[in-house]
Amino acid sequence: MGFVKYIIRRGIYMIPLIIGISIVSFLVMYAAGDPIQIATAGNPGITEAQRDFLRHYYGLDTPIPAQYVRWLTHFLQGDFGQSLYGGRPVNEIISFYLFETLKLQLISIFLAFFISIPAGIYSALKQRSAADYTISGISIAGVSLPVFWFGIVLIIVLSYHMGLLPSAGAYGSPKLWPVFGISDPTLDALAHLVMPVTVLTLASLAYNVRLLRAGMLEVLRQDYVMAARASGISERKVLYKYSLKNAITPLITLLGLSIGASLAGAPLTETVFSWPGLGRAYVNAVSKLDFPLIMGTTMIVAIMILVANIITDLSYAWIDPRIHID
Amino acid sequence: MLTLRRNRKNETGNSASLSGKDTDSETKRRGASQWAVAWRRFKKHKSGLFGLGMIVVLLIVAIFNTVIAPYPARPAPDALKPLYDGEAAQAPSWKHPFGTTRMGLDVFSEIVHGSVYTIYVAVAATLITTVLTVAVGITAGYFGRYIDELLMRITEIFLVFPSLLLILVFARIFQLGNAEPFYSFLGINIPIGLTMIILIVSIFAWAGNARVVRGEVLRLKETEFIQAEKSLGASSWWIMLKHVFPNVLPQIIVLATLSMASAVLVEAAVSFLGFGDPNTYTWGRLMEESYSDMSTTWWSEVFPGLAVFLTVLAFNLFGDGIADALNPRLRE
Repeated sequence: MGFVKYIIRRGIYMIPLIIGISIVSFLVMYAAGDPIQIATAGNPGITEAQRDFLRHYYGLDTPIPAQYVRWLTHFLQGDFGQSLYGGRPVNEIISFYLFETLKLQLISIFLAFFISIPAGIYSALKQRSAADYTISGISIAGVSLPVFWFGIVLIIVLSYHMGLLPSAGAYGSPKLWPVFGISDPTLDALAHLVMPVTVLTLASLAYNVRLLRAGMLEVLRQDYVMAARASGISERKVLYKYSLKNAITPLITLLGLSIGASLAGAPLTETVFSWPGLGRAYVNAVSKLDFPLIMGTTMIVAIMILVANIITDLSYAWIDPRIHID
Repeated sequence: MLTLRRNRKNETGNSASLSGKDTDSETKRRGASQWAVAWRRFKKHKSGLFGLGMIVVLLIVAIFNTVIAPYPARPAPDALKPLYDGEAAQAPSWKHPFGTTRMGLDVFSEIVHGSVYTIYVAVAATLITTVLTVAVGITAGYFGRYIDELLMRITEIFLVFPSLLLILVFARIFQLGNAEPFYSFLGINIPIGLTMIILIVSIFAWAGNARVVRGEVLRLKETEFIQAEKSLGASSWWIMLKHVFPNVLPQIIVLATLSMASAVLVEAAVSFLGFGDPNTYTWGRLMEESYSDMSTTWWSEVFPGLAVFLTVLAFNLFGDGIADALNPRLRE
């Protein structure tokens, strides 16, 4: 009962936030200047009359508040407008790229999450051992690593010099990438995933391990852990049931944030690997100042992040019975 | 007293730097200020010292960039001397330790000149971020109630939103209105485009830090010495400046060091994606320029990135070191 009420309340709380974000983004973008002027700047043959026609066509000749209201009514009906380049509907563009981004991101986020748990626990348990120094060393290096540079190094070594993996894109086109001499669409897609997933996993793995290690060090020092051990409960149960549950909350927060933020794609990783995803589409849209596409992507990302936050808060209550939802 | 303390420490087994011998010396020198104690603890932190060493090297390189680099910085025509000598697109050698680009630039010299911008980004962005962090964190934490509520809601928006997206939009917009490349101040040419990027990066960097500072202030507010000051009738500003600020300062220093790392990383990313200042050759810019050549002259792409990596690593190691040195829970 309280559960449903909580979701409804949080949902209502989201509305002013979303409207606020949309107003701010709208103002920022339209303060930049006349999009038609920018879009046609590279075309000397265009006349002012043609520009006026374009402005009228895209509804850019009305006052900004009126434009915003128009955008909002379309947005509420699930219509994000058309791209200024080629006039394709923004919905179509976003849904096309969204799948590829989610595929890449979700695999990496969950890999990072599940690798970080044993690594973080082990590192905290064997504090100051060679293994701990290795794990901590790799994770601080991972936090400091520019993901785009790491991606480039992988491409240079594994693709250009060794020819092991494809360097760009999500699918082999026009020819499938042969894995062990076999040309198969699934193997081809997997081969394309290896490097971007490695880069993204390492990037979030490093943060996860650092967080979990710090949390576990704190928890393992508590009296209840000692009491649990003294009463003869198996070490496995002490670690995974009593300690991990108390140390994992920050990691869950990070997971929630990264699932939300993953919708933004990793613009850097996607650019480096020429991945046909939302992040790369966004970077291209920003460099061309394709306003409807920027607005659409921004709003999708904002909504997804807010939803992910609500789910994160709900999962706290699931993990920690002391937290009540009401 | 002493044995008791030692026992507790052995149980927690916390910091390697605290062997039994150190405890005696630290107790003897109890009169030392908290900064002296922190420095003593920091000196035993190997990775922290290593980070500090790398930062010192970076500073020396940046200060003596014209002496260290064999070729001058662009736009000086001599920057392209390797091209005229027929040495463009050469692999690393004794003459060109990091090779030359396809355009005919010496990669080592370019990186040395770029270090100046790296320092500028790290210091300027951290200054702005820290001012915002302190202002929001202390105000929200100290005044509480609706001021806290309002500031924390704003902080949440900044925290939740994937900042790189908005940074790119702002950077692109500023690129459009870029008229003058440099602003001359006391004979120093300050790159305007890069300064704008620093501003944008800083505006999106303070939120997480402000939350940490606020939490610390909330904890301090309940301590007896602040309550005592309050009951003596001290003004809010006096308490904040004289008591709250000095007590959150260690926390702020740690956050500031880590901000340097992330500022350098974000600037490199923004420049790499092509949204940087076209008039300054930062390491990210160098990577953007050579991006299309990475299948041939890989060194022109790999070495600037390596410089970014090592710099960020240095700030992170240093930050971790001071965090451990200043952490009161690890202190005797």
